[in-house]
Amino acid sequence: MMNFIFLNVICPFCGTFAFAVLFCVPKKYYLQCGLTGLVGWLVYLFASHHTSVAMATFFGTLGVVLLSRGLTVIMRCPITMFLVPGIFPLIPGAGVYNTAFYLVTSQLDKASASGLNAIKVAFAIVAGIVFVVPIPRELFRLEYWRRKIG
Amino acid sequence: MRVEKITENKEDYIDTLMIGDSSEDNVRYYLEAGNLYGLYEDEILRSVSVVIMLNNRKCVLKNLCTIEEDRGQGYGSHLLDYICEVYADSCDLMYVEIKKEKPCVDFYKKRGFSVAPISQAYFERYYQQKNYGKVQHEYLTRTLISAVNVKRVVDLALKAGELLLQNGGEIFRVEETIDRICNRFYVDKIDTFVLSHGIFISVRNGENDAYTRVKNVPLASPHLGIVAAVNALSREISGGQVDVNEAFERLDEIEKMPPPRPLNLMLAAGFGAGFFGYFLGSTIPESIACFFIAVILYLWVMFAKRHGFNKMILNTIGGVLITSLAVLITRLPLPFDLSISGMTIGAIMPLIPGLAFVNAIRDIADSDFLSGTVRMIDAILVFVYIAVGVGVALGIFNNLLGGIAL
Repeated sequence: MMNFIFLNVICPFCGTFAFAVLFCVPKKYYLQCGLTGLVGWLVYLFASHHTSVAMATFFGTLGVVLLSRGLTVIMRCPITMFLVPGIFPLIPGAGVYNTAFYLVTSQLDKASASGLNAIKVAFAIVAGIVFVVPIPRELFRLEYWRRKIG
Repeated sequence: MRVEKITENKEDYIDTLMIGDSSEDNVRYYLEAGNLYGLYEDEILRSVSVVIMLNNRKCVLKNLCTIEEDRGQGYGSHLLDYICEVYADSCDLMYVEIKKEKPCVDFYKKRGFSVAPISQAYFERYYQQKNYGKVQHEYLTRTLISAVNVKRVVDLALKAGELLLQNGGEIFRVEETIDRICNRFYVDKIDTFVLSHGIFISVRNGENDAYTRVKNVPLASPHLGIVAAVNALSREISGGQVDVNEAFERLDEIEKMPPPRPLNLMLAAGFGAGFFGYFLGSTIPESIACFFIAVILYLWVMFAKRHGFNKMILNTIGGVLITSLAVLITRLPLPFDLSISGMTIGAIMPLIPGLAFVNAIRDIADSDFLSGTVRMIDAILVFVYIAVGVGVALGIFNNLLGGIAL
């Protein structure tokens, strides 16, 4: 259990945190960046038990983008702050390595499979972001919903 | 002598205003649309004036008259000077619409006005004016001197846009910021066109006058802190808390905002790679190796950026470096097994072009296809460069060591 928490909670949080530093995000947003990455990874993890990697990535991206937009409205800053570091755990870095590895070792079928998988995952991220970007800004304001319900 | 802006019971002043303009409908009309100023001495009203704002930093003086028995004492010119000063902040040009009578025209000409190259039709476009009457009007104009003018506003907007674009802002944010700044300083006939590497702004000022700036914005390494700071500043500007000079100073400050210290960047790359490696499936010793590889990798990245190496060299050699170090570590006599893939997957994360990728997608989602495509190709090429670097190094070691290493 401890190991699970370290692996899937602490690591994504700290990793995303580190990438926020790398992209020169202002200091006050570091924690929120870590949180965004963590949520994306957890959604991905739970979804990946039930669907394919690409679908899981799609849901993970949805989680990241929705949370980033919410944070943007609360913290009054550009969404890029949270979105860029937050998306990192989902980017298919391993796919790039595996494709290169299989190509070099002449396992072309595996190379094409992992290359196509990486592209599929990339498209899942694209779809995840594109779905959420056009949602009007007001929907992320608490006030809007309070007025709607009240 | 004191001048004040009158906002209440404006109708009370109609009688006085009609000294200068015999049509009551006219007076009522512009009294509603414009700002009324009155000059008092010894608490007695001596002189009144009405000014209407036009768009794009221009205004028109509709009426300026002094009560007959008080004329010749400088009340009129004092009021005119006052109004020119007040409007200098928000306008570059003041028009004045007067009867075509010599003393009248001379009064304004003495105070810096000259005949304007416009006709009555020019103003009729701004507001429907009924009952213009048969009075012949003369139009004069004067440039209001102020630190703020159209050119300076556009330069400010351009600088803010440039900083945003250079440091990883999206296209729509750049356009929005430019519009926001220009509108705040009353420049509203503006066209902007923003590409991933350039900003084009054109502003029409007056009828035949245009001011255009084109700015080439070379890609720099992203700094999201600057994007956040410029964004916050543009909010303050449009909220009216910051004037042009202060905004320029603040932008200069923001431009010099330093990136985190190199040591912090290296540690961040190391920790990022280590933690990512671990939850992407490496073992703990491999993640620790990731940390060291990424720290060394970032040394190279910073060196390459300082000397302006292009992306292809930076990323390809980065890939080679990572793989070589990983292979080297497997050859060290260590008490545990380390796989090359486990170390490499984490260590390449700092090279991944996350910002370009995300921005490309967001630009395309906003229908900025041109910039989106350019940035997407940029991101994809970086992925390819990394893969080439890793592949080349793997291939060399594979041949050298006869496949034992892999």
